[in-house]
Amino acid sequence: MGFLLKEEHELMRKTVREFAEKEIAPRAKEVDETHEFPWDNIKRCAEMNLMGITTPEEYGGAGSDMLSRAIAMEEISRASATVGIIIGAHGLVCDCFEYAGTEEQKQKYLVPLAKGEKLGAFGLTEPNAGSDAGNQQTTAVRDGDYWVINGTKCFITNCGPAEIYVVIAKTPEEPDVKGPSAFIVEKGTPGFSIGKLEEKMGLHGSATGELIFNDCRVPAANLLGKLGRGLALALQALDRGRICVASMANGIAQASLEAAVEFAKQRKTFGKPIAAHQAISFYLAEMATKLEAARCLTYRAASLNDAGLPFGKEAAMAKYYCAEVAVWCADKCIQIHGGYGYTKNFPAERYLREAKLCEIGEGTSEIQKLVISRFVVG
Amino acid sequence: MRIIACYKYVLDEQDLKINPENKTLATDRAAWKISDYDRNAIEEAVRIKEQLGATVVALTAGPAQAKASLKDALARGSDEGIFIQEDALRGADPAVTARILARAIEKIGDCDLVFCGEGASDDYAQQVGPRLAVLLGWPVVTYVNRTQLEGSLLKAERKLDNGMELVEIELPTVVTVTGDINVPRIPSLKQIMSAGKKPMQTWTLADLGITPDQIVSNLRNESVKGAVVERKRQIFKGDPVETVSQVVAALIKEGTI
Repeated sequence: MGFLLKEEHELMRKTVREFAEKEIAPRAKEVDETHEFPWDNIKRCAEMNLMGITTPEEYGGAGSDMLSRAIAMEEISRASATVGIIIGAHGLVCDCFEYAGTEEQKQKYLVPLAKGEKLGAFGLTEPNAGSDAGNQQTTAVRDGDYWVINGTKCFITNCGPAEIYVVIAKTPEEPDVKGPSAFIVEKGTPGFSIGKLEEKMGLHGSATGELIFNDCRVPAANLLGKLGRGLALALQALDRGRICVASMANGIAQASLEAAVEFAKQRKTFGKPIAAHQAISFYLAEMATKLEAARCLTYRAASLNDAGLPFGKEAAMAKYYCAEVAVWCADKCIQIHGGYGYTKNFPAERYLREAKLCEIGEGTSEIQKLVISRFVVG
Repeated sequence: MRIIACYKYVLDEQDLKINPENKTLATDRAAWKISDYDRNAIEEAVRIKEQLGATVVALTAGPAQAKASLKDALARGSDEGIFIQEDALRGADPAVTARILARAIEKIGDCDLVFCGEGASDDYAQQVGPRLAVLLGWPVVTYVNRTQLEGSLLKAERKLDNGMELVEIELPTVVTVTGDINVPRIPSLKQIMSAGKKPMQTWTLADLGITPDQIVSNLRNESVKGAVVERKRQIFKGDPVETVSQVVAALIKEGTI
């Protein structure tokens, strides 16, 4: 990328924005209130080829680039961060298959995922393996032509609605295998059940909860990638995932900015719109500036990926910075709204509840700083 | 069958700002878009193509930046895009636009049906469609909000102030459409990406055999300024029943009701 988007990217933004404004945004408040999984939105996103943006065309995706995915995630999340996170988590699964799937696995799983016919969920986090992702307790033990999985995953996005789960588990009985491995588990497999769903602060329409494996037997062919390389695969997918969460944050920040500007132009105090008061206009200036910087960082990380260059550091930087900017912007959006911002009559409070997730999910801000510091310190 | 959908690339009116000092329009940060009713024109052409089979050519004329519109028009289902580049067309006289488009349609050749939007989102002059028809020597059907093609017979429903008019017309013809005729599709990501692979051509006036003296505008743009509607700021207070009567009396006096 130079510092200007190409014509195709501009057209893509314009188109996804139009789609999101017409079809996603009108449902956002209702989805937040009812906690209903927005299947209608997801179905339309599939028709718009937004469920497999970077997946190659031969595997059912749009075959587009990471910059397009970042822009699309931003525009969808500007309308509804709930839909954004559903697509984001689904994208992690598509990426895992793209990176490590055999041809057979790609045909069987990636094609329906990328077409949006089936939804995916990514099972890495455990009660004792969040930031400390290497501390996996879920196990997979080989039994003839099967792997027998036992353990519990938690905070899994798309838990329940998803039909295809990529699950990370260690294989303690395999000699000379140190790291955990990745396994494909289909919904309905005996021994696999959905546990408690979390009652979250925000992103209510997205289902987040536990995956419970109790002697769950999956065919040996469901090993995804090489034995012992599951955590590496997960971290590889999370590099792109971080760009997606950064984009989601940018979408929320953009929505916060727009809501704040609209309110500040209409609300009058001391005989003039509050946007004409310097205290408020400076908040708006700061929001716009931070958002622009956040967007540049995100697009740069995406562009490095598109150029085939290392982008892990930049993706972590984007995830860390954009998430904090989104929380800051949503907070200021409430402040500008005053008492109204604290009510559910305006979307400002929803934006803050949604933005907060960006500082936590797919690696906390602290983990991002750890990743960045390793690059910086060496 | 070949169908041509003509469109204009215009500034997005949502992005226009009025300079508070002199009421002029600030357009430098405004995005460009395919004019609203012209999207309906493209959509109608593409719908007919999908039902009956045809080739849809998206045709536009304008200054250099309008070239960027071709991929948008192609993503919306057109098969080919033709752009006539002429910087003098910035704010052109509709008569000039029609002359250029007519010559282009003749050059494309073998065309049966031309769709235009009823009017452009920027000036809404409603001139290009009818003028184009005259220059082509074809009939024109305006204000169309429904079409049905049976062989070479086009059945069209015209939405008029006092009702609907059903007309039947033999092709070739020019049709101008309203915003009610269809809901323009939002292209999918794949459609956007495949747009770049479709044939696109850029023509100059010379390619059409048009000389500069033929595009001299008879219109002169004196100025464009934002209109400011001052509110009357009349406040009616007191007993609700009396107040309502006062409001009604005031509205009658104003001729509003």
